[in-house]
Amino acid sequence: MLRRYVLRRLFAAALQLLVLTVAVFFLIRLLPADPVSRFVGLNASAEAYAQAERNLGLDRPLLVQLGQYLGVLPGAGPGLLQGDLGTSWVTGSPVLDEIAHTLPRTLELVTLSFVVAFLIAAPVGMFGALRPGGTADRGVFVYSLFAGSQPEFWWGLLFVYVFFFTLGWAPAPLGVLSPMTSAPEAVTGFMLIDSLLAGRPEVFLEALHHYALPVATLVFILSGPIIKMVRQNMARALESDFVLYARCAGLPGGAIARAAFRAAMAPSMTLIGILYGFMLGGAVLVESVFSLGGLGQYAIRSILAFDYPAIQGVVLVITAVSLLVYLALDLIHAAIDPRVSYA
Amino acid sequence: MSLGGAEAAVTAHSKPSRTRRRPDPLFALGVAIVAAAVFLALVGPEIAPYDPTEATLFYNEAPPPLADWPGLLLATLTGDLPQPPHWFGTDASGFDVFSRVIAAPRTDLAIALAANVLSLVFGVLLGLVAGYYTNWATALLMRASDVMQSFPVFISAMILVALAGRSTGNIVLALCLLYTPIYIRLTRAEVLTQRKRGFVEAARAMGSTELRCALVHVLPNSLAPALIQSSVTIGFAILLTAGLSFVGAGVRPPTPEWGLMISTGANQIILGEWWPSVFPGIAISLTVFGFAVLGNALERRYDGN
Repeated sequence: MLRRYVLRRLFAAALQLLVLTVAVFFLIRLLPADPVSRFVGLNASAEAYAQAERNLGLDRPLLVQLGQYLGVLPGAGPGLLQGDLGTSWVTGSPVLDEIAHTLPRTLELVTLSFVVAFLIAAPVGMFGALRPGGTADRGVFVYSLFAGSQPEFWWGLLFVYVFFFTLGWAPAPLGVLSPMTSAPEAVTGFMLIDSLLAGRPEVFLEALHHYALPVATLVFILSGPIIKMVRQNMARALESDFVLYARCAGLPGGAIARAAFRAAMAPSMTLIGILYGFMLGGAVLVESVFSLGGLGQYAIRSILAFDYPAIQGVVLVITAVSLLVYLALDLIHAAIDPRVSYA
Repeated sequence: MSLGGAEAAVTAHSKPSRTRRRPDPLFALGVAIVAAAVFLALVGPEIAPYDPTEATLFYNEAPPPLADWPGLLLATLTGDLPQPPHWFGTDASGFDVFSRVIAAPRTDLAIALAANVLSLVFGVLLGLVAGYYTNWATALLMRASDVMQSFPVFISAMILVALAGRSTGNIVLALCLLYTPIYIRLTRAEVLTQRKRGFVEAARAMGSTELRCALVHVLPNSLAPALIQSSVTIGFAILLTAGLSFVGAGVRPPTPEWGLMISTGANQIILGEWWPSVFPGIAISLTVFGFAVLGNALERRYDGN
């Protein structure tokens, strides 16, 4: 039963991705950008321009280009449906390889930030919900409103100024390892995992040290919406009939809090998923401040260089990962909340 | 469940009377911040002590220490100084940071407001149509806005602005495209409930045309969620505009714009020259917070009655 639900969701996600890919494909080609001039320069001769246009495949009709990209054109080589995202116009290497290289950095950053943010924000939100309308609740509420509406890139820079320049606690914002350190062999692509697999705990600690400030920045931003959500759900759970019943039945406070916590967490999962998907694209700015070399920075580079295959690949992968996260969290939701079932 | 509903109804009735009696200081703060931002958008560039797009002869000059500010202010007011002080210092190009910070709302706020008004108008009208007529065209519209909403927001904005050309108009259009689906969804949901209500039925029974019902009875009563969302959207539009300039996909220098200022100061902050980025950042931080507070207060008032 569960398997059928998962398969149905995966099928729907694949369909959604296909529609999205086609939409992005046409969107970037309808916008008045001229990638050919970007590559040959504005003073190129007409022949050089035409040659470059042919090389990029932009001289063919749009539908032929789309067919080729999707890989449904007979005799035109593999495309998206065969798992090939094309070749980057800037570097000439396969887009899939480049994304496989940069995506783990972003996932590492975002996941680490979510775990830390949740561990801090959940207790704070619950603390606020214990006495709705009290001074603590009001303070927590104003904080969450503030943190949720901040320019994260600016806070990143501020943290660099305070913790790197003034206090010297953090390393320079120049990537995930210092330039002198040789990177461990890439097995999974995740620096924190690869360093341990290579048996180099000092590299693990160094990467953690480099992640400290970008993670702190994202934790600050994320804590706003997470606190707000936990507070709301917890307050609602504490007001609900089953908590009233538990109180009447004389259950100890700890047991009541545990039950209410579980009831509050279940609806929070959906929002966490949406936030996570949002952050995959939203971490762009923090990645760029700390030069982490993740998918976000790859996106910036590709977009500013009019590298169409890379742009399409980035949007596709970010959306695909978000859809998978939504699915995973819906499954967790069902596991926590017995009222939800996909049978 | 019914008991829970009744309780919720009771608390919902008792709350607004309390909030109405006590003025909300947070709401006042939000109004003050937004009013200040609007004021600067109207006259900021005119009251700035220096031309925000003209370099002075001083590069990377630190702001005067805080202890000197009262004296400097007095000297400025009495006209004892040959030229106005650089309150927030100057940046690497010699621009006066203070002048640029107070001139920037005309860029940031104007973009955010224009994008919001446009997407509000389109979104509400399309939402009204989609809520009123359920046929294949509106179903297609809803699917299209689903697809729009599943794009990663910041990256889509970057793509739209970078490929369409980095101009203020294109930023407005890109934001409008990204925010319209939100308003379509909000309005449609509200229209679906409003059009079934008694007064609309009554109007129809009295012989009002369907169009009149839609525009005169349903539309005004379906606006509230979209208008409340506006405040939040404007705040996020300011953040997005600033973020776009920060990565080089927004307005072009030397336009006075907060994100661009932070971006040009970003390289210096590692060297300890904090003022070119810190002051515009405080401006964004406060402005967006102001809009968030305002939106939240409006939301609570609306829910309260």
